[in-house]
Amino acid sequence: MLRKLLVMAVVAFMAIGFSLDAQAEGTVKIGAIYLLSGAFSTYGQFAKNGIELAADEINSSGGILGKKIEFVLEDSTGKANVGIQAARKLVYQENVDLLMGLDSSGVAKGLVPVVPELKKPFIITHAASPDVTGSLCNKYVFRISLNIAQNTKAAALIAKELGVKKWTTIGPDYDFGHQSWEFFGNYLKELDPEVVLSADPSFPKFKAEDFTPFINKVISDKPEGVFISLWGGDLINFIRQANNLGFFKQNFKVLMSLGAATEVLTALGDQMPEGIWVGTRYWFAANDTPTNNNFVAAYKKRFGDYPSYNSQGAYAAVYAYKTAIEKAKSFEPDKIIAALENLTVDTPSGELLIRAEDHQAVVNGNWGITKADKNYPIRILDPIRIFPGKDITPTPQESGCNMQ
Amino acid sequence: MNLMTAFVAALLNSFDIGILLFIIASGLTIVFGVLGILNFAHGALYMAGAYFLLTLMGTVGMPFWVGVLIAPLGVALLAVLIERFLLRRIYHRHPSFGLLLTFALLLIIDDAVRLIWGSGYHIVEPPQLLRGAASLFGVTYPLYSFFTIGMGILIGIAVWLIFHRTRIGKTVRAAALDPEMAQAVGINVPIVLTVVFGFGAWLAALGGALAAPMRTLGPAMGDTIIIESFIVVVIGGLGSFPGALFGALILGGIHGFGGRWLAEWNIVLPYIGMALVLLWRPEGLMGRR
Repeated sequence: MLRKLLVMAVVAFMAIGFSLDAQAEGTVKIGAIYLLSGAFSTYGQFAKNGIELAADEINSSGGILGKKIEFVLEDSTGKANVGIQAARKLVYQENVDLLMGLDSSGVAKGLVPVVPELKKPFIITHAASPDVTGSLCNKYVFRISLNIAQNTKAAALIAKELGVKKWTTIGPDYDFGHQSWEFFGNYLKELDPEVVLSADPSFPKFKAEDFTPFINKVISDKPEGVFISLWGGDLINFIRQANNLGFFKQNFKVLMSLGAATEVLTALGDQMPEGIWVGTRYWFAANDTPTNNNFVAAYKKRFGDYPSYNSQGAYAAVYAYKTAIEKAKSFEPDKIIAALENLTVDTPSGELLIRAEDHQAVVNGNWGITKADKNYPIRILDPIRIFPGKDITPTPQESGCNMQ
Repeated sequence: MNLMTAFVAALLNSFDIGILLFIIASGLTIVFGVLGILNFAHGALYMAGAYFLLTLMGTVGMPFWVGVLIAPLGVALLAVLIERFLLRRIYHRHPSFGLLLTFALLLIIDDAVRLIWGSGYHIVEPPQLLRGAASLFGVTYPLYSFFTIGMGILIGIAVWLIFHRTRIGKTVRAAALDPEMAQAVGINVPIVLTVVFGFGAWLAALGGALAAPMRTLGPAMGDTIIIESFIVVVIGGLGSFPGALFGALILGGIHGFGGRWLAEWNIVLPYIGMALVLLWRPEGLMGRR
């Protein structure tokens, strides 16, 4: 009798097990790797918001080819080896179908060469190093966010219009700061050979806390233009300390390549100086399209804030996968990859084209001049300058990608 | 800007950075000197001081001057509980227990701050009186920095007087030198240790509250400061109060002058300084052999 019950129980559990499996069959699983802990965890939170919003929208309107989206988040902690571990775990243990993420260029450079072994498509939504769609490019890796080359090309176009000749920089002392200055300088030299670039630019260490020595130095060097690639908490620190020292009242032009990030503008409030050129990968008021208006309204309703660029990037990546899968009519990794190539995706940041040659998206750059507006709690951009992707994206030959 | 004003600016930067580091590192060194514990969570207590001030000024609506007094006391109270219920259990164990425990506390406080205040960035406004800049020998410098430098000097003098000119100071030094003998002559050593740990945390939190109007509040904001504080106490000598002052001013000088004239070296210079001191005087400039 007991034995019979036991067998029945086993059969019952097996049946439940099967039905659970059957349910799993009806989902498409996305694995996302972002910075979820430490000083920059706010970027991971933004990305999570974006994925959540996109997944809920898609799931409530029938999913992707009838399958619901399920997503799993992993913390890169900003370290390449942790990011690689996370990607392997997502693929081998969580059995995800698609990968996305990456805030740090350092993590991206470590992880990108490992992706081919995982055999799943990977869309990068934040890390800006040109190398991941350049010298390190491979079949599985795509990027839909603005990279350093695109953003600094836009900056150089503005710098040329400003007409001043003597430029210096303040940037974080790692790849991002140095590459930003190098690209900006090279583009500007091409546009205007008379430009003089400082031989002694300022690179305070990343997370330096105290920027006063560098602010004093730049003021005393009397440049005509200052290109600033500090970002996040560093940029907030810098701006407040620079305000105190009258940096923005000096006789030079200021460009901030990531100054229009909403997390920076929100923290600074009315301490953000007016009349400064600032760039961002996405600006919530830049596109009056249904896609953008829906996104901004839904985001604001759900999270209470204007969407940051990292939320937009993650949101757009989920929709890029949806568009690609629907085009491929398949969940096979190779077919999704083929569909992503030359794909046009409608995102809040405008239509973007994912190039087949290097898998970099030809995406718009957003710049503008900071301005106070009593309808907004933060400084807004007025006027807004949108640089079409085709004007600021280097050719695949220039990017140095050799796709296998 | 001529060389003279550049020099004055670098000097002011050195003091601005150095004095704040001194306030924080002195708490670290006093706790080590008396309790024998190297507190990894010291930077997290610094962060807690800044966030407490944020809430006191924002949600509660206190003025800066009141908040800057109360926030560090709140953190000190938290530290007293930590000492009473956690640290006290490991004094007689191997020193690695102290490292492990305080490292765990660092992780817990970091994550608690993220749960309570979120992972975004926040700023604290300086008081109206201290906004803007003042000129000194032709150098424009933030008024608020003059205030922190002044506060640091006052706190330094006060702490030195407490330790060397009062009965409380004598009691603490006795408890640090020979706990058993101190207990035998009627000093309540456990209470002394609790108070000293609370005081060390108060200094860290005061540093955080004073730094808040100049720096951004964000998760893990204590990480940088704890590393710098460790460098300060290594240079100055672990457990030495004057050592904390010298170490902090040297590190401030490295940032202030190095940032101006050796900018491309600014990441490695503090470590080079630390390595040189370790080679020349492994016990630190003011440390006991």
